[in-house]
Amino acid sequence: MQHLDPDRLVLLALSEQTAESDETGHLQRCEPCRDELDTLRTVAGLGAESQGLSNLPAPPEHLWQRIEAGIAAPVTPVADVTPRPERNSRPRRPWLAPVLAAAAAAVLAVVGTVTVDRYLRRPPAETVAARATLSPLPTVPAAAGGTVQVLSDGQLRIDIRNLPLTTGFHEVWLIDPDDPAKMVAIGNLPEKPDAVLPVPVGVDMNRYRLVDVSDEPHDGDATHSGRSLLRGTLTY
Amino acid sequence: MMSSDDELAERLRDGDEKALRTAYERHGAAVLHLAHRLLGNQADAEDVTQLTFVAAWSGRDSFDPQRGTMLAWLLGIARRKTIDRIRSMARDNRVTETVRAQVAPPEEPERPEQIVDRLVVADELSRLPAEQRRTLELAFFDDLTHPQIAAVTGMPLGTVKSHIRRGLANLRRRWEVDGAASRPRSIGTSRAL
Repeated sequence: MQHLDPDRLVLLALSEQTAESDETGHLQRCEPCRDELDTLRTVAGLGAESQGLSNLPAPPEHLWQRIEAGIAAPVTPVADVTPRPERNSRPRRPWLAPVLAAAAAAVLAVVGTVTVDRYLRRPPAETVAARATLSPLPTVPAAAGGTVQVLSDGQLRIDIRNLPLTTGFHEVWLIDPDDPAKMVAIGNLPEKPDAVLPVPVGVDMNRYRLVDVSDEPHDGDATHSGRSLLRGTLTY
Repeated sequence: MMSSDDELAERLRDGDEKALRTAYERHGAAVLHLAHRLLGNQADAEDVTQLTFVAAWSGRDSFDPQRGTMLAWLLGIARRKTIDRIRSMARDNRVTETVRAQVAPPEEPERPEQIVDRLVVADELSRLPAEQRRTLELAFFDDLTHPQIAAVTGMPLGTVKSHIRRGLANLRRRWEVDGAASRPRSIGTSRAL
């Protein structure tokens, strides 16, 4: 007999009809028809099993933030066109050190007062304007992480956990993900899991929306070390 | 208007992160589904999904729309990442028991290829012209015969036949193209049905 008709093969593949005896005989002898039927059966079987798979639930948004943190270009220290000022090699005058120390203490005292003041005057119900989940970069232990909330009064509250130890300090940055060389230093983290840092007035949080926590050495270089530990994108 | 895989690939190659976001919105659910089916828990499945999209980003130059769709490319990466994850879990004796308890179903474990094929076919089904899709869904999911489909839809039997035949041919073509990523390519060309 002739090869099986395409419409007939479809009906057999869908098990809508069973093969007549002459068709069975042909299928046994004719490899192309047999292969054709097998393939159609497989595809029809996959189709029948595919119910519900074309409208799977959307994956969670925090997963995208982890991906985004993972792909953000490794931060290279900001291209610095102006040479860093050479440190004056002359030894400091001996009397200067205590004066500087006293001045520093005074500054700390003022900062401390201001901070305490801020805490005391903080309105009881803060509104959170934006938040981000911080995820570890691939080189960082997976247990590290944190959360960031930007409060409506412009303060950034950050909670971090399990950051790797550092011989330097941890610094918080806001980076423009569309141009990762552009970033704003927000401040460094104290040795406790949470901190509230002021965001400089006028920073465009829609642009600088990638929060980055870096490991900074005590090298006196104010630019990003390039060693990012955690990242997350602010969402509103 | 959805941008095609070609256009998406071009934007990806240009380093446009928004193109990755589009790929994630379009295919993230399928990648997560594959990983979840194979790993048996959400946390590991999310890890693998993250690794997959990060790897897709760093390997974005390797996506060639001529060789398969973006979905198949992503599922291919996800499949390898999942297998890596299962192997490293198995190496770690401390978690072996947990993994076994979570992963090993009492019946034969599902092959990754089977899950990938199903996702690819589901994706193609959703892209078919409306009538091909409708008639095939009635045949696949509701197990209706051609005459029943004709009765339900009000289409002539001959029209139902041709929609189903063409729809099945489209699914097959897609399966043959995208299956190539995960199994040795079959030499046979698809005969026009």
